[in-house]
Amino acid sequence: MDGRMDAVVTWIQGTPVSEALRQSQYAFPAGETLHFVGLAMLFGFVAILDLRMLGVARQLPLASLHRILPWGVTGFTITFATGLLFIFATPEQYLNDWVFWSKMLFVALAGVNVLIFYAGGIYRLVETLGPGEDAPPPAKAIAATSLVLWIGVMFFGRMLPFLGVAF
Amino acid sequence: MEILAAVSDSPFSTWIRESESLFGYPMFILLHTIGLAIVVGVSSVVALLMLSGAPRSVLAATRGMFPVMWTGFGINAVSGLVLMAADAPTLAMNPVMWVKFGFIVAVVMLMRSARRFAAADTDVAGAAPSGRARKALAAATLACWLGAIVTGRLTAYIGGPDFFVE
Repeated sequence: MDGRMDAVVTWIQGTPVSEALRQSQYAFPAGETLHFVGLAMLFGFVAILDLRMLGVARQLPLASLHRILPWGVTGFTITFATGLLFIFATPEQYLNDWVFWSKMLFVALAGVNVLIFYAGGIYRLVETLGPGEDAPPPAKAIAATSLVLWIGVMFFGRMLPFLGVAF
Repeated sequence: MEILAAVSDSPFSTWIRESESLFGYPMFILLHTIGLAIVVGVSSVVALLMLSGAPRSVLAATRGMFPVMWTGFGINAVSGLVLMAADAPTLAMNPVMWVKFGFIVAVVMLMRSARRFAAADTDVAGAAPSGRARKALAAATLACWLGAIVTGRLTAYIGGPDFFVE
């Protein structure tokens, strides 16, 4: 990123929130733990829904899984909030790092994939998918794309200490 | 301690710990994360279905997700052993790591019970596992996974062979 975000980094570093997070000995351990909890909640919901659409556990009716949507949304909210915590604590480690922005790109693409699923009418094709029924090809494509994108998010997240300039 | 040192001094463990290759430590820590997301995530959703009072037919159908869960668990077990071997003297002597193992042993037993409950649900004419037992199993599963995640993260901050020495 060649320091293009330096002004933003400097502004964040000067905020009371950033200072408090850097001084706290509990912020990072708690934040990291919650980030993994949120990740498990989000990916658990995403994986079980996507795998069902791809034909795993075909006896599961999709509607019963979709009722767990608030769990997945809560997981995403937790990961988002803890992610903001990390950025505010050490903006210089993330905002000038291509690996971080690659992770954000994959999160954004996963969001677009979700939009296409709901707003693009794909969900209407599968919301009444009953036991033993196969999802149509568009839904399978959405499901496969979703799994690849979220695994990509985990890849870039985990590679932050090893690639780029974050650590 | 000598055995632990021998494990971490082995050529493979040394390579995992010291190599700059992405196929070393980075790959195994990534696999550990993906395995966690799979096994904890899918297991938690199954637990939620039990807690929410889903019909027996739905709970019976969760049998199809157990191979996915066990695959995630397998990925975690193998990657976890490799990561532990790379720093065996420190990690094996960390009491927090053993608490984590306790949670994992407990949740493996709970997952096996959940699988038996799901199998019982395939016989809709047969006796269903009691709702109370099902909900207790689900709550215990979620609690143990939370415990495993918390203690797993804490091993990076507390513990080690000298941490508790006065």
